[in-house]
Amino acid sequence: MQKVKVSLTVNRKKYNLKVDPDERLLDTLRDRLHLFGVKEGCSIGECGACTVILDGKAVNSCMVYTFQIDGSQVLTVEGLEIDGRLDPLQLSFIEHQAVQCGFCTPGMLMSAKALLNKNPNPDKEAIKTAIEGNLCRCTGYQQIIEAIEAATKKDGSE
Amino acid sequence: MIEFEALKPQNLKEALAVLKEKGMDIKILAGGTDLLVEINNNSDRLGDFKYLMDISSIKGLDEIENKKEHLIIGALCTHTQISESELIKRNFPILIRSAKTIGSTQIRNRGTIGGNINNGSPAADLITPLIALKGSVILKSKNKKRELPLQDFITGPYKTDRKEDEIMTKIKIPKITSDYQSSFQKVKRRQAVAIARINLAVVTDIKKKRFNDIRVVFSSATPTAIRFLKIEKRLKQAHINELDLESIAEQTGQEMVEITGERWSTPYKKPVVGNLLIRALQEIIREVQ
Repeated sequence: MQKVKVSLTVNRKKYNLKVDPDERLLDTLRDRLHLFGVKEGCSIGECGACTVILDGKAVNSCMVYTFQIDGSQVLTVEGLEIDGRLDPLQLSFIEHQAVQCGFCTPGMLMSAKALLNKNPNPDKEAIKTAIEGNLCRCTGYQQIIEAIEAATKKDGSE
Repeated sequence: MIEFEALKPQNLKEALAVLKEKGMDIKILAGGTDLLVEINNNSDRLGDFKYLMDISSIKGLDEIENKKEHLIIGALCTHTQISESELIKRNFPILIRSAKTIGSTQIRNRGTIGGNINNGSPAADLITPLIALKGSVILKSKNKKRELPLQDFITGPYKTDRKEDEIMTKIKIPKITSDYQSSFQKVKRRQAVAIARINLAVVTDIKKKRFNDIRVVFSSATPTAIRFLKIEKRLKQAHINELDLESIAEQTGQEMVEITGERWSTPYKKPVVGNLLIRALQEIIREVQ
């Protein structure tokens, strides 16, 4: 298979890569850029563990070939932290103990982040819709929803 | 492992030229929410192909246009775009309701209406309402452009009438008056990220308390999305307050068996399709009363 040239901005840093045609964004992020916060769960778009933000939208990185997205911006959970400071959402997840085993957490955070970027004051239904494609097999949804709700309130009042 | 080369045409013209030359060896990729799963699973449905041609970033195929008598939806419009479109909401709320049930936020952000149609799944959520809305599809090849009813484009489960040098560019839906009501019903195993077990779209206008034009389209419980013409005929001109619900449900189940044949799931689906139609009709009748 012939490699394809792709340039990507990942977590605000630019990369020029040569990728295989069947290399998924998930593979590029984990195997080339060593961003292990992007998790591979089901590989068929059902679990959301591999969720990243692609050009402003939450997507399953297992369902995108890297060669498709030349010139795109990608944000992974590693990019939420800026200059050593965690994102308010991350702080809220910690505060509300919204993490059990942690495998779904990066995907949950990225789905929530994409929602808040678009709609800073979502209601509970909007929050549930935003994370409907993210499975938490520890079933800690209540705390996750509370953590996202609290992060929205903070953004609004401060 | 499936091996393929990547093709990434810069515009539609280039894509059509490449298809003309080697269309028989090309698989077209848009949002990838169906195709990547099939490639990942080494699905038999894929057939042989040497090239994967990505059209997802081709410009001009993701617009929604408001024409005098039609609404035109670009084949690369994502399910999210459709769900959020004011134009579609005003004209065809049933499409919004069905688009919102697809997959999850992540899948709706990538998956496209053209992909949903061309994959040709019997459970494709957008095909059902689009057939009820009498939608047609526009296909382009290097030297030709043609339009045909969506109903004729889908020729079987995962089979379509697309020729190997063609790309679907647009979906065209004739506008309906504000008298029209619609209902979309979906039976699925869980709320999100679920493939439909049964889909139903009903589009009708009610005049003097009678169903005038009525279109009943089921899918998933049938090999392809299909209008139930017998039940449509029975309902046409029926008074909305004098419906024999039990016998309508029964007849709907029978029509499904006539179309699909007896399967392992028939004892479940036969009564459920009938009850779903009743639910849809009641929803519509509540709206007009």
